[in-house]
Amino acid sequence: MTRDNMETDAFLSLKNITTTFGSITALDDISFKIKKGEVVCLIGPSGCGKSTLLRTANWLTPPDKGSVTLDGFSIGSKRSKNMSRKEMTALNEVRARMGMVFQQFNVWPHLNALENVVRAQLVVAKRSRKKAEDKATKMLHDVGLEDKIYDWPDNLSGGQMQRLAIARALAMDPVLMLFDEPTSALDPELVSEVLNVLRRLADDGMTMIIVTHELGFASQVADRVAFMENGKIIEEGPPNEILKTPKTQRLRLFLDKLNITAFTSH
Amino acid sequence: MTLDFSIFVEYGPHLLMGFWLTIKIVIAAIILGMPWGLVLALGRRSRFLIPRLAATSFVEIFRNTPFIIQVFLFYYVLPFYGIRFPAEYVGTLALAAFGSAYFAEIIRGGIDAVSKGQLESARAIGMSDWQAMKNIVLPQTLSIILPPLTNQTLSLIKESAILSTITVHELTMSGMRVQGEIFRPFEVFIMVALLYWGLNETIAILMRKLEKWSKKGRTSNQDSAETLKKEDVVR
Repeated sequence: MTRDNMETDAFLSLKNITTTFGSITALDDISFKIKKGEVVCLIGPSGCGKSTLLRTANWLTPPDKGSVTLDGFSIGSKRSKNMSRKEMTALNEVRARMGMVFQQFNVWPHLNALENVVRAQLVVAKRSRKKAEDKATKMLHDVGLEDKIYDWPDNLSGGQMQRLAIARALAMDPVLMLFDEPTSALDPELVSEVLNVLRRLADDGMTMIIVTHELGFASQVADRVAFMENGKIIEEGPPNEILKTPKTQRLRLFLDKLNITAFTSH
Repeated sequence: MTLDFSIFVEYGPHLLMGFWLTIKIVIAAIILGMPWGLVLALGRRSRFLIPRLAATSFVEIFRNTPFIIQVFLFYYVLPFYGIRFPAEYVGTLALAAFGSAYFAEIIRGGIDAVSKGQLESARAIGMSDWQAMKNIVLPQTLSIILPPLTNQTLSLIKESAILSTITVHELTMSGMRVQGEIFRPFEVFIMVALLYWGLNETIAILMRKLEKWSKKGRTSNQDSAETLKKEDVVR
């Protein structure tokens, strides 16, 4: 661990990240840190850059400028196009320690539930099949899919697919979990089954960054909420302060809008 | 005019020999062409410039020139460089090269058709580009590309007739030889056409079966069928 990390106590650290897509600036010189065991929820209007920030953490969207370190190890500071084989291998190793869960689940439809959880353990973590299957069975049990072990993703509901994706990530023994709007593609009645899994992970002390629109959930599980707009973090702090007494006009407007939507949709 | 098919008692075996060579050439061309097509497809999406450029040039050249010209070039130009093979081998090589350009495009299309999220989720969990391709993307590509792959195979079988122009004694050439001896073009070429048709139809039927089988695995599996039964019992 570097000295810098001991001072700031940062587990994951994103420094001066700037990302542009053509003429659009998705992230505007953002720095972001998270401590071990901390749960941070990223909120903000769509297009504000919160998903891009999350995808910067595991270098899935390499930024134009800036660097990312996990537990003192540099994840990357280059566009992956220019990476050497050695740097690429190092990146893959770090990625294996960071679980990522996508809005669209991205479970693998040609593999059954068990094999979805087993495959990366074999290929990336180089575990034996026996060990991988034991682990997978346990993980599927933990997310409540114990009776779906041999089912194909096509036969699962959205909530089950998302829990499968979570089990797949957890089987790699990640030190950090990244959630990119994990419940946004779900039917309303399926949201809670996924949030319950997240809630339990938070209770177990998993370090998590969650991009979400579920403010109620954020206020319950988050240690910190960060509000983003136009590629910048506008305001951040404990959920009670942020969500109840916002300091900036922009956050107040954002929360008002969400409350009105919540009101009219119920 | 009356058709006399009794001529095939004498000349049938000759046609069948040509037919057998056509089958062998096409099988060899597919065995060489498909893996090479995969290499070209992967080359075209490489992050390095040179393989990308080489694969793209190969595909574009073989896709955009007439097959008969490619055959002539292989047949007449290779010997200049001291490469001398029997005509069958040269023909097979030409057919494989021509086919691989199309196979490459089909495979590339299949890879593109698998959603980007599939590759991303594989990379995010720590797989290398190749591991992600091998474990996640290519297996899903297979059921997508089977129908166009079938079309291309049928098309290769028909294109193989062009090899008769470089003295390869395949089905079309056999037909011409027999016709040259007995001057009964109707019977001979109807028979030749029937043999091509029979071969293609057989392959088409087999591939349709393979397509069904490749889709079957995912949706109807025994476990869920059993679960359904159990639920029925509970009700």
